[in-house]
Amino acid sequence: MKRQLELKVNGEDYSLTVEPHRTLLEMIRNDLDLTGTKLGCGGGECGACTVILDGKAVKSCLMLALDARGKEIWTIEGLSRVGDLHPLQRAFVERGAIQCGFCTPGMIMASKALLDENPHPSEQEIKDALAGNLCRCTGYVKILEAVLSMAKPD
Amino acid sequence: MAEEYSVIGKRLPRIDAMEKVTGTAKYLGDLTIPGMLYGKILRSPYAHAKILRVDTSKAERLQGVRGVVTGRDTKGIRLCVIPHLANKPPLAEEKVRFIGDEIAAVAADSEEIAEEALDLIEVEYEELPGVFDPFEAMRLGAMKIHDEGNVAIHILRAYGDVEKALKQSDYIFEDRFETQAQLHCCMEPHGCIVHLDRSGSLTVWVTTQVPHPYRKMLADVLGMPLSKVRVIKVYMGGGFGGRFEMDPIEIIAYFLSKKTGRPVRIINTQDEQFTTGRTRYPMVIDIKTGVKKDGALLAREVKVVTDNGAYNSHGITITMGVGTKCTYLWGVPNVKYEADVVFTNKVYGGAFRGYGNPQITFAIESQMDMIAEKLGMDVKDLCLKNANYEGQLTCMGHKITSCGLKDCIDQAAEAVGWKEKRRKPGNRGVGMASLMHTGGGVRLLFGDCNLSDVFIKMNNDGTIDLASGMAEIGQGSDTALAQIAAEELGISIKDVNVITGDTWTTPQCLGAWGSREVFVAGNAVKMAAGEIRRKLFEEASRMLEARVDDLVAKERKVYVKGNPEKFVLIAQVATTCYNRGRILAGRGCYDDPTTYIPDSKTGYGGVPTYAFGTHAIEVEVDRKTGQVKVLNFIAAHDVGRVINPMMAEGQIEGGGLQGLGYALSEGLFWEEGIVLNPNFQDYRIFYINDVPPMKSIMVESVDPDGPYGAKGLGEPGLVPTAAAIANAIYDAVGVRIKSLPITPEKILRALKEKE
Repeated sequence: MKRQLELKVNGEDYSLTVEPHRTLLEMIRNDLDLTGTKLGCGGGECGACTVILDGKAVKSCLMLALDARGKEIWTIEGLSRVGDLHPLQRAFVERGAIQCGFCTPGMIMASKALLDENPHPSEQEIKDALAGNLCRCTGYVKILEAVLSMAKPD
Repeated sequence: MAEEYSVIGKRLPRIDAMEKVTGTAKYLGDLTIPGMLYGKILRSPYAHAKILRVDTSKAERLQGVRGVVTGRDTKGIRLCVIPHLANKPPLAEEKVRFIGDEIAAVAADSEEIAEEALDLIEVEYEELPGVFDPFEAMRLGAMKIHDEGNVAIHILRAYGDVEKALKQSDYIFEDRFETQAQLHCCMEPHGCIVHLDRSGSLTVWVTTQVPHPYRKMLADVLGMPLSKVRVIKVYMGGGFGGRFEMDPIEIIAYFLSKKTGRPVRIINTQDEQFTTGRTRYPMVIDIKTGVKKDGALLAREVKVVTDNGAYNSHGITITMGVGTKCTYLWGVPNVKYEADVVFTNKVYGGAFRGYGNPQITFAIESQMDMIAEKLGMDVKDLCLKNANYEGQLTCMGHKITSCGLKDCIDQAAEAVGWKEKRRKPGNRGVGMASLMHTGGGVRLLFGDCNLSDVFIKMNNDGTIDLASGMAEIGQGSDTALAQIAAEELGISIKDVNVITGDTWTTPQCLGAWGSREVFVAGNAVKMAAGEIRRKLFEEASRMLEARVDDLVAKERKVYVKGNPEKFVLIAQVATTCYNRGRILAGRGCYDDPTTYIPDSKTGYGGVPTYAFGTHAIEVEVDRKTGQVKVLNFIAAHDVGRVINPMMAEGQIEGGGLQGLGYALSEGLFWEEGIVLNPNFQDYRIFYINDVPPMKSIMVESVDPDGPYGAKGLGEPGLVPTAAAIANAIYDAVGVRIKSLPITPEKILRALKEKE
């Protein structure tokens, strides 16, 4: 039943076997033990499972693991080394863009995908890019400020 | 004032931010316990039915199934946060009472096998007529949902003489307001891992806001000694009141673990979360208010019907709380309150940020706007005239120890441009609404106390470990407690290790609810840290050859007041203490100073302090589509003393957006007991592209009993929002919408009727 799968995650090559019905999210969390990517709604509505796949933000709960064959994936764990934050992570920390933290990894990965493609997005472009990432705690105000601070470094 | 503090009042990042921003923080679903099984629950497809037969034999034979439980296993157990009102069986025995009611459960090697096994369970039902409307349920001869009848409680209370006061009134206003079932929509679904090991010890990893009370509820229900029950709350994806009780899934997981001897994990799916999780109670509120021509409020009579859903949870205490809340905002001297809490065949409600206050404040504050118009007054002046004040004693006996309400009204009005924008032609309008809410918990539910216990030990290097029974649920309590400890001891917030969430390693605390965290646990931290500081100063006074009274602790040093060059490092003092065999440990157990019970008949407990606030909102209404666009949102809150402005803003902004959802878009809708919108596409919370410009204003009234004068802020953020929106819509296009959510359809209908 299981099929062979080769892909790159956080800069490292992986070769593993997965069942055809496994989602990319399940593979990341259960086979690679990268639990920073969260399972929220499981239906592509909340964005907690957002990862970057070949440069684009994708909801990993909506994609089959086997469809990621040969792709390059980045998860929240790949963003920083021990004790050293990515500037985007630092912006989230310093601007109070985190409360319960459950949406945070997905929010950061969606923001990173946007900034990689468009380093100076407008406020509206940020809002459009993050419209698929829900947060129930913060009211989004400080998340928006954090991403804006990356777009317009002060 | 705040300048004298080193840590209090500073915009410091959360102490758990590093873990959360790197994906390191472990939430319930990230845990794996060796030997863990996966549980799934078979739920009722009928809103109301007798269960004639449950046959699990085929499911039990499926490869990979390790255990199956039914109502026979949990027979006699009834759950409720208030034990004497318990009527929810963890698994149905004779009847199911809402679509989603639990019937049987399976533990298996994988979720897929467990799900497959559910399909093999045979259940024979006899369908009964369902009752979905509380007024219908109250009618004589209505189908009984519980043997005792459909009215869970009838409440009647009176303070002062309402009849007389109404007679003395120049005007009497009578209106009906209706509110809907709002969902918490925590980003992390509810779940648990339960392990009853072979030695008889029980460990429960669970998404709870109240670890210690939860442990007691669990031990009571299972008849176990508390010392054998360990409750662990790991990082949790939001709470908002939705995790302020024991859920049936946890008892079900317990019985599955008991049967299999293995840890069992159950996590709700999104559909389960939307159809079987707790909700804000829908209420129908009739409010009658008597006023004098000059705007003095003389009397208020309130009648409430609460849709309790199928079982008891917080419905009765929330409805009792509404009876209290309708007395205290604007200090109405004569109040009569009558309410029915009524069962229906729908999912049951629970605690939710505000505990009844968003419902009653929508009614009170919408009506205030109507009263002002009739009297020809600016509603701002009407509110200022009736505003609560420091030293006030309300008709129910609530004492107001600090109050910044007038400042909130003034500052919110100023910031929104009230004078220039109110009562102007066009499609834009401004509205305001205020709130009063506990700012430090209440003596309710868990004994006649409102306590929090804290232990702190100082390590040799001057860092500390702080153990508290409080629950960090995203609101930031761990950080606030760390700031208070750091301020007291003159160390950095980075020197504080906060230990919370595990009932085996933390002292007693009633948990995170009632906006009590900073006020109650904060005071306990202040006491515990104060004890350590005394011991530090004793040693330092010897080392510095100075009097204890002359010492100051700041920037990791103890120095002589006015002579900062004469200092010792706190780490040096701590090491010296250790070498002399003296332990630097402190304990603070704080119970609030309320010694009175406002009403002995109701038993509703004392509140140590109140938070206040005013929202002023500008909207634009599209007369063709009925769409409301929020142009500007000002939230002024009296928070006593701000411990951390950045995090306080976060509470206000997050609460405010939940309030906008409550006002404009959120609501669970049913047809014959079937939830029509059980997902984030159809149940519409606000997205990032819906966020209006928001401004938070902090009014610091400095409470005499709060730590550094601080009061709670967790709940107030959404309490007055819906009324402020309704009032702004009225100001914009002249239609008064009295039911939530205020959808474009309702606005269009009202505009049409007005023509």
